[in-house]
Amino acid sequence: MPEHLSNDEFFTKLGNLFEHNRTKGHGTVYLTQKRMTFDTSLVPPSPTKVADDPLWDTHPEDPVPILIRATNNKSDKRPGTDRKDVDKIKFSTVVQSDRLDAFFVRYAEACKAGMSGLKKRDKKKGKKDKKKKRKA
Amino acid sequence: MPYFKTSTEWFDQSSLLLKARPTTTRITSKYTVLKPSASKIKKRQKYLEKKAARPAKAEEAPRTSSPPPAAPAQDPEEPTATFTLKTFDPDSGTCLQYETAKAAEVGRLIGSLGRLGRHMAALPEVAEDLSAGADVAATGTSTPKVEEDAKMGGVPAEQKTGGGKKKKKGKK
Repeated sequence: MPEHLSNDEFFTKLGNLFEHNRTKGHGTVYLTQKRMTFDTSLVPPSPTKVADDPLWDTHPEDPVPILIRATNNKSDKRPGTDRKDVDKIKFSTVVQSDRLDAFFVRYAEACKAGMSGLKKRDKKKGKKDKKKKRKA
Repeated sequence: MPYFKTSTEWFDQSSLLLKARPTTTRITSKYTVLKPSASKIKKRQKYLEKKAARPAKAEEAPRTSSPPPAAPAQDPEEPTATFTLKTFDPDSGTCLQYETAKAAEVGRLIGSLGRLGRHMAALPEVAEDLSAGADVAATGTSTPKVEEDAKMGGVPAEQKTGGGKKKKKGKK
């Protein structure tokens, strides 16, 4: 696994990943977030201590960074379909706790822009409905 | 492996799970665009024909019936896109899911991912987050194991998490 990207690099690559999905016309983007447990200050206490306090991880002393991973789905060529060989794209970033809010604001923007396949709000329909209700 | 009907329900349960198991729980959001299979296209065409045959009843149908499969698509070959959120804790095997097809929800859902992220990072909850307090206490139906753990622990927890646990105990 390659090194974690910086947050900025992550967003450009995430944009590319969504763009890749869009040009392909189908496919999946997976995004995962979890607490960063490796290589941080968060070290499990000794086993005896864990037994004393099984919830040791619910109250760490310092805020913990968060790991965000993004991947696409790998696909293999299959005869009879228009599927092509697609390599797995995989990258990740670490968000420090003090930059969490700013990150998620950008993250929301990136996802909103990227997930263009979802159904848009149908404004015309709504208006018609309202008119009907008023008449009734 | 339940799919919740509303995103708030998913959020409440996920935040409970994260409070109990902040290190092991992960949240996966999956955005997927699928081309419909041949049988699916046939099904949709049939549905459209049916709808055309009975226009009066069909107008009611797409609104009242369950939204995901209905997809009153203009073009039966249009790909379906869905956005699925999954909170999974491998330790207890808890898996909470929510699925939507609406673009309008994405912003809000990522916002709630951010709020859940604060649990993960062990940051205090945001003050403006009104839904958390009352709702969480009311719907406290997470795994019973959690509460057992809380009792067994019996260690004077730090203030951050102490609040949550007291609420749960008080409810019992």
